[in-house]
Amino acid sequence: MQAASATPALALRYSRKRDGRDEVAVSASASSVHHIRLPDRDAKTRFIDAVLDARCGRDEVLELLGEDVAHLKPAARRRLRRRVGVLTSAVPLISNLNVWENISLPAAYHGTPPLGPIAEAARQALAAFDTDPERLLARLPDELGPFERKLVEFTRLLVSAPELAVFDALGDTLDSADHARVARFEAEYLARQSAGTLIYVDLPERGA
Amino acid sequence: MIRILREFEGGVRLFFHVAMRAGALRRPAMRESFLRQVYFTGVTAATGVVLRASAVGALIIAFTINVLDADVELAVKILLWVVLREVGPLAAALVVILRTGTAVASELAMMRISGQTEALRHLGIDPYDYLVIPRVIGVMLATAALTLYIQFLAVLGGMVLSPFMIQATFDELSNRFFELVTPVDLYYSIIKSLLFGFAIMNVCCYHGLNPPGLTPNAVPQAVTRAVTQSAMVVLVLNAVFAYLVFGVLFFGLVTARV
Repeated sequence: MQAASATPALALRYSRKRDGRDEVAVSASASSVHHIRLPDRDAKTRFIDAVLDARCGRDEVLELLGEDVAHLKPAARRRLRRRVGVLTSAVPLISNLNVWENISLPAAYHGTPPLGPIAEAARQALAAFDTDPERLLARLPDELGPFERKLVEFTRLLVSAPELAVFDALGDTLDSADHARVARFEAEYLARQSAGTLIYVDLPERGA
Repeated sequence: MIRILREFEGGVRLFFHVAMRAGALRRPAMRESFLRQVYFTGVTAATGVVLRASAVGALIIAFTINVLDADVELAVKILLWVVLREVGPLAAALVVILRTGTAVASELAMMRISGQTEALRHLGIDPYDYLVIPRVIGVMLATAALTLYIQFLAVLGGMVLSPFMIQATFDELSNRFFELVTPVDLYYSIIKSLLFGFAIMNVCCYHGLNPPGLTPNAVPQAVTRAVTQSAMVVLVLNAVFAYLVFGVLFFGLVTARV
């Protein structure tokens, strides 16, 4: 009898203790969109680092896609990490590679999947935001504006088809016109990953 | 002292990393990076050395005959010993340090400072695999190719230009040269240049990936350390290599017939 691969109820569960009490405790159910506000910049940095590395400190608990990361073996950790995409300023574009090379780098490095479908997916994603994909793909990161950079980072995330996507402070460094454009990232992600989970991570609004 | 030991240990670790993981070069992204490195180090540097390499050969022949009052045979022997065995690999190493070494050290230091090496790690890419292996192997091969090119230009330049400065014809010089040259002369210089390329990139990649700080001010410091240390390593390697080959261990094996 073959075991059915059940989708975990929680896509993410994270908590951090201080003096024996939960200082931060967040969770996100699978196949949905969540907004998480962490108390301060340090808490946000530690959360994003934990998700990026699929690894947590002694005072932290992290479960990603139903797996507790604390006792994962390196190969399992790498496999889990590939199912998670994080859009954050902590993972910038590589400055000496053009946009296409940046988008295709993870796949080209690991040798799978073939680059043809990735190129097509990247063109579609870039075209959906009213840009000329061919021109954009040939440019270097230093030639891009803030929104274009964000779009390329998003496209790099999108072509890796993550089951869980984490958007860290998406609107930071963008003006109000670009805010409206990055808001469409969510629809674009869910259009491609209908069963995916999307988590926005932000700090509390000033004055709140 | 601790810094020197740490740098030495870092260099040794990098050496073993490249040796153990060279097979990763089969990956498309790394092959691309490798070819770029070969092109930058070997091909784009080639045009700049034509005049200098030709002049070196001519100067050695003219200097030997005029100052030492040597005959054509001795002049060609010195051309062989000096250009093929010593100046060729050293000149190529100098070009590689000045062009590629500085470029690689500053590029990697900038990547480290701006968080791009960490970004690679987050993308599941080992920065040492992706950044170091293609550069080290690419520069090794390019240094060997550049050495052969410089040797060819210096010998040819020496033979073509010398008749304008001394009483010897091109035929005389070339006949003597082909009588005296042996394949061992080429093997010697190729092995040496491969070692030089490896050492230069090892040092430059280490300092690029380990700048003294994480601010833009650290970039020139990393480049200075990379250049001075790789020049020193090349000179030490050259001395050790010459001692091993011409010294006690293989004495007589590759010395030119006098």
